[in-house]
This record gives sequence, C-alpha cells and structure tokens, in this order.
Amino acid sequence: MPAAMGSRVRAASYVVLDEAARRRRQRKALEALELDNFHDDPHANLVMHKKAPKFDESLDGKTRPDRKRKARSFEYFKQRFRKTFSSLLEEEQQLEPDPPNYTSAAARPSARPERHLCAVCGFPSTYTCVQCGTRYCSARCLHTHQDTRCLKWTS
Amino acid sequence: MTASGTLVLDNGASLLKAGLASHKDPLVMPNAIMKAKSERRRPFIGNQIDECRDASGLFYILGFQKGYLVNWDVQKTVWDHVFGKDCLGLNLSRLNVVVTEPFFNFRSVQEAMSEMMFEEYDVAGLLRANAGDLCVAAEPARPDNLCCLLVDAGYSFTHVVPYIQGKKRREAIRRIDVGGKVLTNHLKEIISYRQLHVMDETYVMNQLKEDCCFVSQDWRRDMKQAALPPADNPILRHYVLPDFTSLRRGYMKPRDSAAAPAAEGEQLIRLTNERFSVPELLFHPSDVGIQQMGIPEAIVEAVSACPPETWPHLYRNIRLVGGSSRFPGFRDRVYAEVRALAPDELPVKVTQPEDSVTCAWRAGAKLAGESRFSSRLVTRAQWEEHGFNICLDTFDV
Repeated sequence: MPAAMGSRVRAASYVVLDEAARRRRQRKALEALELDNFHDDPHANLVMHKKAPKFDESLDGKTRPDRKRKARSFEYFKQRFRKTFSSLLEEEQQLEPDPPNYTSAAARPSARPERHLCAVCGFPSTYTCVQCGTRYCSARCLHTHQDTRCLKWTS
Repeated sequence: MTASGTLVLDNGASLLKAGLASHKDPLVMPNAIMKAKSERRRPFIGNQIDECRDASGLFYILGFQKGYLVNWDVQKTVWDHVFGKDCLGLNLSRLNVVVTEPFFNFRSVQEAMSEMMFEEYDVAGLLRANAGDLCVAAEPARPDNLCCLLVDAGYSFTHVVPYIQGKKRREAIRRIDVGGKVLTNHLKEIISYRQLHVMDETYVMNQLKEDCCFVSQDWRRDMKQAALPPADNPILRHYVLPDFTSLRRGYMKPRDSAAAPAAEGEQLIRLTNERFSVPELLFHPSDVGIQQMGIPEAIVEAVSACPPETWPHLYRNIRLVGGSSRFPGFRDRVYAEVRALAPDELPVKVTQPEDSVTCAWRAGAKLAGESRFSSRLVTRAQWEEHGFNICLDTFDV
C-alpha cells in the first residue's frame, strides 16, 4: 500500500482519477452552481381528486375557464418563444458574430494565481487528495473527505 | 391616444421593481412563481410569498435563465399579478411603459418583449433600456461626471459598464458570471457539507446570506481570525434558522452569545469563514473554479478598453448598483483594490446610492417626468406602422 495513506486501509481497487475525469467533476460542480432548484417540483404529481378526469396540465394544475378565448394569442406566444437558453444563445451568435456581443463581453481569466481552499472546512489548503484532486488542509479534513465524498458519485 | 401616466418596470431576474412614475417607492417582489411543500393547492406568485406560512423547501420557477428572459409563461403570470387588482391595479393601454433589459439582450428576446408589450398588454408607448442606462441618465450633468463607470452586481451576473458622456461603450463592457444566485448556491453547498442539508432551502439561505455575510477588507487576516477559538474569534456567529411555527424568519445571534448554548428547539448554524468567503467570489471567482477575473480587475480592464483621455473621468466616478452590492464593506473593498490597480496619478472615487436595489427604478421614474422622455419612446402608432424596426432604431439596448 502506498505510504501516503497512513494507517487507513483502502479497498483493493485503488482508483486515481485522471485529468479528464477531474475536469468533468469540476464542470458538474460549476453547473450545479447555476441551478435554480435542487429538488423536484413538490406539485408535480398532484392528484386533486381521484375521480376528476385528467385534462392537459397547465402551470398550476388547474384549467382556467377563459383559456379557450385567450388561447390563440397566448398559445401563439408560448409556441413562438419557448426556447432554451442555449438555443437562444446560438441564434444570437449567428445574428451578431462580431464583437462587441454577449460572448466578447465575458471577463477573461484573472492574472492573479488561484487560491486553494479546503473543501471540508473552507480555510486555506496546501494539500491535494491523491485520488480525486480535492484540496484539504489537515489530516482531520482528509479523513472527513475520504469518509464522505472521495470518489463518491464518480462520473 | 395620449398616455395618462408612466409605469416603470425594472424587470430583474431575482426581484421585480414596479410602480407608476408618480409613486414615491416601487413595489419590490420576487420575479418568480414559488411552490411550497405545505400549500399544495396554489403556487405563490411574486409577493404572495408573504402569505405563505411555511416557506421551507420552496421550489422556484424563474422566467430568467442565466440572466436572460426565456420563459414567457412564467413572466406573463407574474406580470398579470403585478398589474392586476391585487397589486397595482393598472390598465396598461393608457400608460407609457419603461421596462429594463439586461446588457446584450438577445435580439429574439427584444422582439418578444416589444411584441408582448404592444400586442398583449396594448401599451400606449414603450421605452426599453438597460437598467444601468437609466441610472446614469438620471444623474444631472456636472463637470465631474462626464463619464461614469457603472458596476451592476445583480442576481445572474455582474456587469462593468463604462459610460462616456451618457452613452455606454459596448466594446468595453465586461461581464462576470457571478451573481447573487451563485453566491447563494455556494453558501448552500458549503453549509450542506459541513453542517446541515439545506440544498432545498433557497429562500432561507438567501436571507442568511443577506443577514450575515460581509466583504472582508483583508482576506488573510480574516481567515486567521476565523480559525481562532470561540472566545477570541470576532467573526464567529450563530444563525437561528426559522422553524415556521414559532419563528418565521431567521436571525443572527449577537456576538456575546456566541458561547451560549442553543435555546430549546433552536436550530443553529455556525458561521465562521463562510461569512466572508461567499461574497469573496465577486472578487475572486477562481475560488470556486470560475475562470474569470473579479470586479476590481474587470473595472481596470473595462477602463483600459476606453480612450485614454477618458480614464481620469471614469476612475473618479465609479458607481456600484445592484442587489449584490449591498454587502457591508463592499464599497471600501472595491475602492481599495481599484486604487491599488489603477495608475497612481489618477483619482479614484467609488460611490453607492442609498438603495442599490431600487436605484434603477428611481432613475426611470425621474426620467419619465422629463421633457426629453417622449422623444425616446416608441408609441403604439409608430409600432403599428413600422413594427420591430423602429425599436431597433430608437432604443440603444
């Protein structure tokens, strides 16, 4: 067993994530920062009354009586303008390919070096987990990391 | 078909600020539809959330994604509530409307906004502008504000925008993809890992962030102090979480009770370095892996992209607006860092309005009362004759 692991005995399969896997995990973490919600819609599968017939679900599960009348103008908007952000961005990039545009306005990487923070306690860190590349600051934080997060949910 | 008034609508991704220009203050409410676990019969639209008894695990449905309006269903629902009898009770067909958009708003979204306003709400006149443009245009012209460098720290991102003689310089605009949303999500993640699973509690964590976080003036020193034992630690605080039965809103316990144990039934969150490492992301996005420069560096870059004769004017008129600029210590930190990075001979001055959140709304309301306002509008007659093209010519978005 490599000496770096101290007295902790690990499983026979000693996995070390390579650069590509680490980048994938980082990207997943960044995407998680952009989410609006981390849980599912609590109203998703509501059964109002078991005998009620199921019509097309609208936003809040109810059908509005004046829907048919306004249906044309509002449905028209819904059809035309329901797009995801990435498709809108692609469209915009084709319309405005030259700077200045949305893409050129993005700030570039900093000239200053990155600061490394311990993933467990948040204080400045100097060490890196050999297997997954997460930063830690002390042996205690390393043990917490190995017990809880190291290589869990590997992609 | 002359209008009888003007509605100013600062349409933000997190908060919506709306009101007639003649009103003193706008109505401020979340620009979202929220669903609660406990109240299954109805969703809460905008300020209806105040009626919700149990705001734990609130599910947010936002019309905005990454700062741009993509979901019109949601936005129209919120707007109908705001314009309806529960809130403002307005009939837009007699009003001019000033509505804000993000910088570099997509053409298709601009079209949709114009169509929604003229066709669906039947407004008498429309002015679409960036929130920052309104803030700058409302300032009276003085010799020391020929140019302005606006930093708009919002929910989805932060823009650094140089204005030269009232007009924004598009090629010098810089966007940092860190805003209130990233800060709150990061706070949720670190607390969930270290103490208590709060990933679902956006509403409560947002209040925690606003109550407890501050911007550090010296990161190294504060990190050292946050690691000290409780008796000597000036940064340690406990936050009492709401339980929605006896306590509806959380609060931060004062410093001297840091050592005291929790009272009956109180759920406490222990905050040390989280208090300042979360807002630190605005200055060092690389702390969390976002490979972009922070606000001070972006300010210097934005200024450097403008003609050299404007640099003194830009550095001495830096204005901070937007909800995420309300952290205590934000202004001082921006000043200190920009002073260190900017050329020594140029004066640096950083100001913040009294209320960063409603600043753009107040600017819009002031503008609506001025004589030059009508020349900047697109009236319904012009829309019917020329369509979207007149918007392209009139608005500088």
